[in-house]
Amino acid sequence: MTANAILAFDTSTAATVVGLTVDGVLCAELADRPQDGERPRHAERLLELCEEALTAGGLGWAQLSRVGVGVGPGTFTGLRIGAATAQGLTQAVGVELAALSSLEALALAARRQYPGSRIAAVADARRGEAYVACWEPDGSQTVDAQACAPTQLAALLAAGEAPVIAIGEGALIFRQSLESAAISVPDSDSALHSLAGGTLCQLAASARPSDGASLIPQYVRRPDAEIALEARTAAND
Amino acid sequence: MSGATLAIETSCDDTCAAVLDGDGRILANVISSQGIHASYGGVVPEIAARRHLSLLSVAIEAALADAELTLDQIERVAVTQGPGLIGALLVGVAQAKAIAAARQLPLVAVDHLQGHVAANFIAPDPFEPPFVCLIASGGHTLLARVEDHSSFKILGETLDDAAGEAFDKGARMLGLPFPGGPPLQALALDGDAAAFDFPTARNVGGCDFSFAGVKTSLLYAIRDLGQAATSERRADLAASYQAAIVRALTERLERALDQSGLDRVAIGGGVAANGPLREAVVALGAASHIPQRALCTDNAAMIASAARFLPDCSAAAALALDAYPSGGRR
Ligand SMILES: [Zn+2]
Repeated sequence: MTANAILAFDTSTAATVVGLTVDGVLCAELADRPQDGERPRHAERLLELCEEALTAGGLGWAQLSRVGVGVGPGTFTGLRIGAATAQGLTQAVGVELAALSSLEALALAARRQYPGSRIAAVADARRGEAYVACWEPDGSQTVDAQACAPTQLAALLAAGEAPVIAIGEGALIFRQSLESAAISVPDSDSALHSLAGGTLCQLAASARPSDGASLIPQYVRRPDAEIALEARTAAND
Repeated sequence: MSGATLAIETSCDDTCAAVLDGDGRILANVISSQGIHASYGGVVPEIAARRHLSLLSVAIEAALADAELTLDQIERVAVTQGPGLIGALLVGVAQAKAIAAARQLPLVAVDHLQGHVAANFIAPDPFEPPFVCLIASGGHTLLARVEDHSSFKILGETLDDAAGEAFDKGARMLGLPFPGGPPLQALALDGDAAAFDFPTARNVGGCDFSFAGVKTSLLYAIRDLGQAATSERRADLAASYQAAIVRALTERLERALDQSGLDRVAIGGGVAANGPLREAVVALGAASHIPQRALCTDNAAMIASAARFLPDCSAAAALALDAYPSGGRR
C-alpha cells in the first residue's frame, strides 16, 4: 500500500503556513510569520516552504495523495495565492484537493486543549471587523463564518451553556470586547492564536475532496464595487 | 513537439492562456474576456482577480486541448509578472509557478509591455528589430525603440491618461458603453473627422503624450453645444475626437522615427486594434508591422513569444517569483 501523504497550507493571514504528514505522522511544520507592519510574503514563500516540507519528507510532488488548502476567510489576495497554487498543483500532477476552513483549523487545535468549551475562531477582517465562526464541544459548527463588528461578537457567541474560548489574531485584537462578554481569550503568546501546519494536515485528512478546476475562497464579503453598483441600481428603480 | 511553451497572462481583465511551438507559431490562444466590467464603467480590480481565479484553470485546459497537447509535451511555462493589477497578476503567477514547480519545468517571467512588443515576433510573419514600437492600451501608452528581441528602450510615455483611457472617457461623455474604443470607432464612421478641431498636445515635447487636453476639449464642446445639438452631432464629435487621438499618436510616431533614424514601425496594445490608427500607421510610409487584432489586445501568445527570447528563472527564483504592479519595476 502506498503511503498517505498530505501537504496542507494556508495563506489566509499574514503568515504563510505549511504542513506535511505521511500516514498521519507529522514530517514538516513550517511557517513564515511577518512581524507587525511587515507585508505578507505569500507569493515569495509558499512554494519554497512546500518544497522544503517535501524535502523533509523525502517526497516529490507526484507522490502526494492530497493537498489541503486554507480557503479563509481572510485577506483576499492571500486566499487567491493559496487557491491558485493549489489549482496549479492539481493541474500539474492530478493531486486531489481539499478546501479547508482556516477558522476550523484554528478551532481544531483549540478543542484539544479546551475539550468542554465552545470554541470561537476569530480572524482579523480589517476595517475594524472580525471574521468569526464557532464550534460546540461536540465539534458541530453553530456559527457560520461571517464578518462582524466587535460589538456584535458577544451576542453572536453568547448563545450556549458551555464556556466560550476565543482564539485567533482577531481574538487578540478584540480581546476587550470578548472578555467584557465573559468570553476567555488565552494569553497573547499562546500558540492557539496561530494556524499550524500539522492541524491543517489533520483537517485535510478528513475533509471532502473538492473540484480542483475552480477552488473558490470563502470571501465572505462581496466586492465593494458590486455592493455600490447594486445600491445605485436600487436607487434608480 | 519541441520547445512548446505554455503561457499565462492575467494582468488586467482578460484571462489568457496560450501555447506556442519552438518556432514561435501559435498552437492555441485562449482569451476569456470577463465581460463583467462594462456595467461598472471600468475594470474593478477585486472583481477581475476573483474572475481570474475561477476562469484560469479552464483557460489553460482549453489552450492545451486546442494545441492538442498535454502538459507532458510542454517544455517551458511563461507568465506575465507585471505591470498590471497586482491581485490579478498574482493569480496567474501563483498558478504558473505551481505548474512549473510540480512538473519540474523551467519558468520564464515576462514583462507585460515586452509581451506587447513580442506580439510582433510571432510566426509565420515575424517582424525583425530594429524598429520603433507604439504600445497603446487602456493601461499604457508609450513609444519604444526595439533593438533586439529581449528588451526595449522607452522613447516617450504619456504624462497623464493612457490613449485607451482617453477613448473610454470620451465614449462615456458621448453616452457610449465601456470599453469605449469599439463603440466610439463605430459611431465615428457616420461622422466628419474635421468637424471639430480637437488638440493633439503638440506643445508636449519629444515623444511624450498627453491626452488631458483633448478630453477637456470634448467636454467643453459638449457643454457649448448643449444637449440637443450634442445628440445631433454625436457622430461628428466621435469622429473628430478619434481623429485627434490618432493624430496625437502618429505625430509622436513620426517624431520617434525621425529621432531614431529608423524606418521600421510596429504597434501593439488594445488601441492598436483601432481601424483609423492602423490605416494611419501604414500611411506613414515606413516599413510597418501591425499584428492581427487578437494579438494587439491582451493575450498570452505574446507572452509566450516574449519568453522565447528570455532566460529561464533559476530554480530558486522561480519558487520565489512575485508579481509587480503598475508603475513597478520593469
Ligand atoms: Zn496590455
